[in-house]
Amino acid sequence: MGHLIGLRLRLLLLLALLPVTGAALAQAERGELQIKATFLYKFGGFVDWPPGAFSAPDSAVTIGVIGADALAAELERVAAGRNVQGRPVGVRRLKRNESLAGLHVLFVGQGETARLDEILQEAKGRPLLVVTESERSQPRGSMINFVTVEDRVRFDIALAPAERGNLRISARLLAVARKVITG
Amino acid sequence: MRFLFQGTLLQKLLGVVLLSALAALLLAMGAMLAYDLRQYRESGFADLATQAELLGRASAPALTFDDVRDAQESVELLRYRPRVQAAALYNARGKRIASYARDPAATFPTLPESDGFRVEGDSVVGFKRIVDDREIIGTVYLRADYGLHDRLLGYLGIGAVVIFASLLAAYVLSRPLQRALTRPLLAITEVAIEVTEKRNFALRAEKLSNDEIGRLAEAFNTMLAEIGRATRELEASNRDLGREVSERGRAEEEIRRLNAELESRVKERTSQLEYTNAELEAFCYTVSHDLRGPLRAIDGFSQALIDDVGDALPAETKPYLTRIRAATQRMGQLIEDLLNLSRVSRGELQRADVDVSEMARQVAADLQLREPERQVEVKVWDSMRADADARLLRAALENLVGNAWKFTGKAARAEIEIGEMRGELRRVFFVRDNGAGFDMAYAGKLFAAFQRLHSGNDYPGTGIGLATVQRIVQRHGGRVWADSKPGRGAVFYFSLEPAEPAAKFGT
Repeated sequence: MGHLIGLRLRLLLLLALLPVTGAALAQAERGELQIKATFLYKFGGFVDWPPGAFSAPDSAVTIGVIGADALAAELERVAAGRNVQGRPVGVRRLKRNESLAGLHVLFVGQGETARLDEILQEAKGRPLLVVTESERSQPRGSMINFVTVEDRVRFDIALAPAERGNLRISARLLAVARKVITG
Repeated sequence: MRFLFQGTLLQKLLGVVLLSALAALLLAMGAMLAYDLRQYRESGFADLATQAELLGRASAPALTFDDVRDAQESVELLRYRPRVQAAALYNARGKRIASYARDPAATFPTLPESDGFRVEGDSVVGFKRIVDDREIIGTVYLRADYGLHDRLLGYLGIGAVVIFASLLAAYVLSRPLQRALTRPLLAITEVAIEVTEKRNFALRAEKLSNDEIGRLAEAFNTMLAEIGRATRELEASNRDLGREVSERGRAEEEIRRLNAELESRVKERTSQLEYTNAELEAFCYTVSHDLRGPLRAIDGFSQALIDDVGDALPAETKPYLTRIRAATQRMGQLIEDLLNLSRVSRGELQRADVDVSEMARQVAADLQLREPERQVEVKVWDSMRADADARLLRAALENLVGNAWKFTGKAARAEIEIGEMRGELRRVFFVRDNGAGFDMAYAGKLFAAFQRLHSGNDYPGTGIGLATVQRIVQRHGGRVWADSKPGRGAVFYFSLEPAEPAAKFGT
């Protein structure tokens, strides 16, 4: 009997987890793209934006994506209906030279590697969490940089750009970073 | 519990003290234990839940960002909690991504379960979901020592020690108390034994305490005094009684002696009397017999005178001779009667079956023969029988019927009835007449010799007849009595056997 109940509970639990699990299961197939998308919106939970970054207490955390259309699509899917710090998550695909105003997170994909520095320069000093995916090294002005270690998606964190952007990154996030660049 | 009903009072007191102490201790310890174990269980659960919450929070980023290394580090921090046997982190997909076990051989549930903790054997096992931004990001699994058995054992150990120490203390402390209780009792007991052995009621129990036992000692002493007094009284009365008994014995001895003396005297007198009586009767018989000779001579010669010279005698002297003859004949009759009386008194009583009716008819016929001119209606009942001496019974009937005949001499129609009354024990014969009768005031003199109620002129007689009847009846063991009124006739009753075998009747 106890065993039966246990089994049923487990099944229920699995069902409850399905929305997450559905995305997670896709990760195995769609690989790092999905992981990065998930990480991207989840970073928001570990970052404190300065007051005034949000127009209202319930306004969305807006994630701008540039140079990574596939990821943007995945992100839209993953983040749909999710909350970060009690706020809904919005995704915006940015075109070239589009303003960064109103964004809270900016992801610069490898499709814009060439213009990376320019974009980062643009973002500099804004209360904007800048995330990049550079395998070589942490680009100047990038706060979080995805790297692949042993086939797993990890990330490094640079604290100086975040401080300049008046962002506070939670120590708990730092704890799970591969590397924290403090200089 | 048996020892409470056996054993000495000391043991019982000790048993009561130890049992109460034990019961109180067991109850207190049981309650404490129950309370503590409950607390322990709750606090253990709460502790583990907190632990799981902390671990979950610490590992939330690791789970969020799938950082196995960090998750593992977090989990392994539980090394510093020796209570924790095993811990594991499951990610949102239910996959175990980090685990720690004190015992390397430990196994983990393959899938996380719902929130909650439970006891499994001697462990507390439970799961705690990690929620971040309203999203389940993983589950913590914890298994920790419940330690209930150890705690229970520890408690039991402490309990045993406490109980042992308490009982020891109770024992040690109660010893002097018990002695204080039992010493006065033992003192009373010793006095009681001594009193019983020595029968010394002057002994007194010492009052050693002011409690119930003290009162017992007082009551015991009062009882001793009472017993002593009662015993003294009893002994005194015993002495009196002994004296009385011996006095009574002496008196009885005296009475016996007097009785014996009296008896011997009576025997002596009786034999003297019998001798005198026999002599008297012999004398009487001899005198009567010898008197008849001269009397016959007087009578005969008076007759001869009348026959030979009667005519020559002067007319006025002839009646003298006639008177002499009548007197001598009367005297002869008197002598005859005396002889009869004497005869019925002597000789052996020879009982036989007698036809009383026949005998009564013969007696009546004889009387009729003697006086043929009398008209007397004699009624004799049929088939009357008696066990009697025929000769004596006939003499009695002759007297009674003769009296009736005689005293009806002046009646207009003389009637005589001879019958019997049958009682249960004996039968009584009666002779009834309608003659002169007599005054019952003189009934007492009736049966004495020479007593006559009527003058010799009216009814001639010697006054010996009824005495003879009485003698005869008495010799048969019976009784004779009479009932009469002057001028209304008389009834004479007589029985020939005792009313009761041992009883004696008659005057």
